[in-house]
Amino acid sequence: MKFRHLIAVLASVVALALLAIVVFLAVYSWPAIRMNGAGFLRRNTWNLGNLYSDPILRHGREVMPGASYGILFLIAGTLLSTLIAVILAIPVGVGAAIFLAEAVPAGMRSWISFFVEMLAAIPSVVFGLWGYVVVIPFLGHHLYPWMAHHLKFIPFFAGHSGSGYGLLTAGLVLCLMIVPLITATLRDALVTQLATQRDASLALGASRFETLWSVLLPGARRVLIGSSILATGRALGETMAVLMISGNALNYLPRNIYSPISTMASFIVSQLDSALQDPTGIAVRSLAEVALVLCVISVVVNGAARLLIYYHGRWSARMA
Amino acid sequence: MNPTSLPPALHFTPPAAANRVEPGRPVIGVRGLDFFYGPAQVLFGIELQVREREILALIGPSGCGKSTFLRCLNRMNDTIPGAHARGLVEIDGHNIYAPHTNVIGLRRKVGMIFQRSNPFPFSIAENVAYGLKINGLAKNRSERMARIESSLRAAGLWDEVKDRLNKPALSLSGGQQQRLCIARALAIEPEILLMDEPASALDPITTTRIEELALELKTRYTIVIVTHNLQQAARISDRTSFFLMGRVVETDSTQRMFTNPSRKETEDYITGRFG
Repeated sequence: MKFRHLIAVLASVVALALLAIVVFLAVYSWPAIRMNGAGFLRRNTWNLGNLYSDPILRHGREVMPGASYGILFLIAGTLLSTLIAVILAIPVGVGAAIFLAEAVPAGMRSWISFFVEMLAAIPSVVFGLWGYVVVIPFLGHHLYPWMAHHLKFIPFFAGHSGSGYGLLTAGLVLCLMIVPLITATLRDALVTQLATQRDASLALGASRFETLWSVLLPGARRVLIGSSILATGRALGETMAVLMISGNALNYLPRNIYSPISTMASFIVSQLDSALQDPTGIAVRSLAEVALVLCVISVVVNGAARLLIYYHGRWSARMA
Repeated sequence: MNPTSLPPALHFTPPAAANRVEPGRPVIGVRGLDFFYGPAQVLFGIELQVREREILALIGPSGCGKSTFLRCLNRMNDTIPGAHARGLVEIDGHNIYAPHTNVIGLRRKVGMIFQRSNPFPFSIAENVAYGLKINGLAKNRSERMARIESSLRAAGLWDEVKDRLNKPALSLSGGQQQRLCIARALAIEPEILLMDEPASALDPITTTRIEELALELKTRYTIVIVTHNLQQAARISDRTSFFLMGRVVETDSTQRMFTNPSRKETEDYITGRFG
C-alpha cells in the first residue's frame, strides 16, 4: 500500500467518524423524533410523565402518561448565551490582539500572549467553579441589581435581576473562554502574516493608526471571521461551565438578560440520570434528539459563516 | 543596458530639461552614522553621499549592514524596539534624526521598495491610491485616476493591468506585484527611492524588467539600491558603495569599482574570494 493510500484511509476515518456519530444519533433518536414530531422544537415542556404508573401507547410507542418533550427553551438558551458571548468576545479579542501586536514591546509580547493562551487551556470545569464561587455572588448581589436599576432603558435589562445564575453570566464566562481563540489567531496574523504590509504602509507615510485601520485590520478580516466561527462552535457546545452557572432553567424562556437558562449541551448532562429512569427509553432517545439538534445547529452556523466568508470575498473583490 | 531599448510601455516621459540635469547635487549626506540594535552596534561611522538622479548601489556580504543603512534613510528602523541612530543623516540639507522631524513627511519624500513584494490585499487601483488617500494628495476621482494611471505607466505596468484595475492585487504575478509596489511608491511623488534587493525574489527575465525600470526612473528620481547581485550593481548603478561588517570600505564610480578597486577587501569581494 502506498503512502498516498494510507493517508487517504486515515483522512476518511475522520470523515467517517463524523458521519457515524450523526447517523447513530439519527437512528437512535428516530423513535423520539416520530413521537415528538415538529412540536419538539416549538414546545416549551420537558416532562418525563408519571414514572410510577404503567406506560401507555402513543403513535404506536409505549410512553409514560403525561410525557411531553419540547426544547424551545433550550434552543433559546443556547443561541442567546452564545450570541452574548460572541458579541462581547469579538471586540475584546480584537482589542487584545491589537494591543499585543502594536503596543507591547516584542520581549513582553510573548509573555503576555502566553498568559492569554493559557486562558484557553484551562479546563472548562475550572471556569465553572470560579464562576460559581466568585463571579455569581458579585454579579448577583452587586452588578445585576445596579444594571437592572440604572440601565433599565435598554430592552431586556430591566426587571428582576435574579441571583446571578443566568443568561448574562453564562454569556460572560463563555466570552472569557473564547476570547483567547480570537486573540491568539488574530495576533499571529497581525505580527507575522501582515508584517510586510505594515512596512509598506509606514513607508508610504501612513501613521501607525492609519496602517492598523486601513491595512492591517482589513487584511485580518478573514482570520477574524474564521476564528469567530471556531469560537462560536466552542460556545455552542460548552457544557460543564454553563451547567454550573446558568441556573438550569426548565421549561422557561428567559424574560431578561438575568434570567436562568439551560443550554442543550448542559441539559443533556443534567438530565441523563433522570431520563434513564424512564422504563420506555423514550426520554433518553429524546435527549439524543437534543444532541442531534445541537449538531445540526453547529453545522448550520458553521456553514452559514463559511458562505459568508465566500460571498464576502467575492463581494469585496468586486467592490474593490 | 541601453535605455533606448525600453519597451513602449514606459512612456512616462519627464520634461526634456530634467533629462539633462547632470547628477551632482548631493541630496543625501551621511556623516558619522552609528546605528545600534539595543546594545549591539551594527553601523560604524558611515560616511556617504548620494547625488541627485544617480543610482547608488550598496553591495556587501550578508549581515554587513547595507539594508539597515538603507532603512536609516527613511527611518523605517524606528519601528524596531531598541534601535537607535547616532550621527548625521541629511536629506535636502535637513538632519532627519533631529528632534521633531516629521517622519511621515520624510517617508513621503523617500519612498521604499522592499525585497518581497508586499501589495495590500486590495484591488490594483486601490493599492496605488492608498498613498494618495492617506496623504490627501488627490482632490477628486478624476485626479486620483490620472495619478493611478501615470504611476502605473511609470512602473511599466499600465498596459498589463489597465483592463483589470479592480482585480485583487494578489492575483498578479510576482514581477507584476513588485512593479505594482513601485507604482504605489511613485504615486505620492517621492524624490528618492530606496530599493532593498527589489529583484532578489524574481526570475531573470522579470529582474531585467525591474532593472530597466530603475534606469528609466533614474531620470526623475534619486535611487539607492541594495543588491546581492554584483552584475546587477554593475549593470544599473552609477556609483557603488561596498559595505563590510558595518563599515563603508569604499565608494566609487561603479566602473572604477568593478575594474580597479582601490581597496584589497573590495577586490576580494568582487572577484568572489569571499561573500
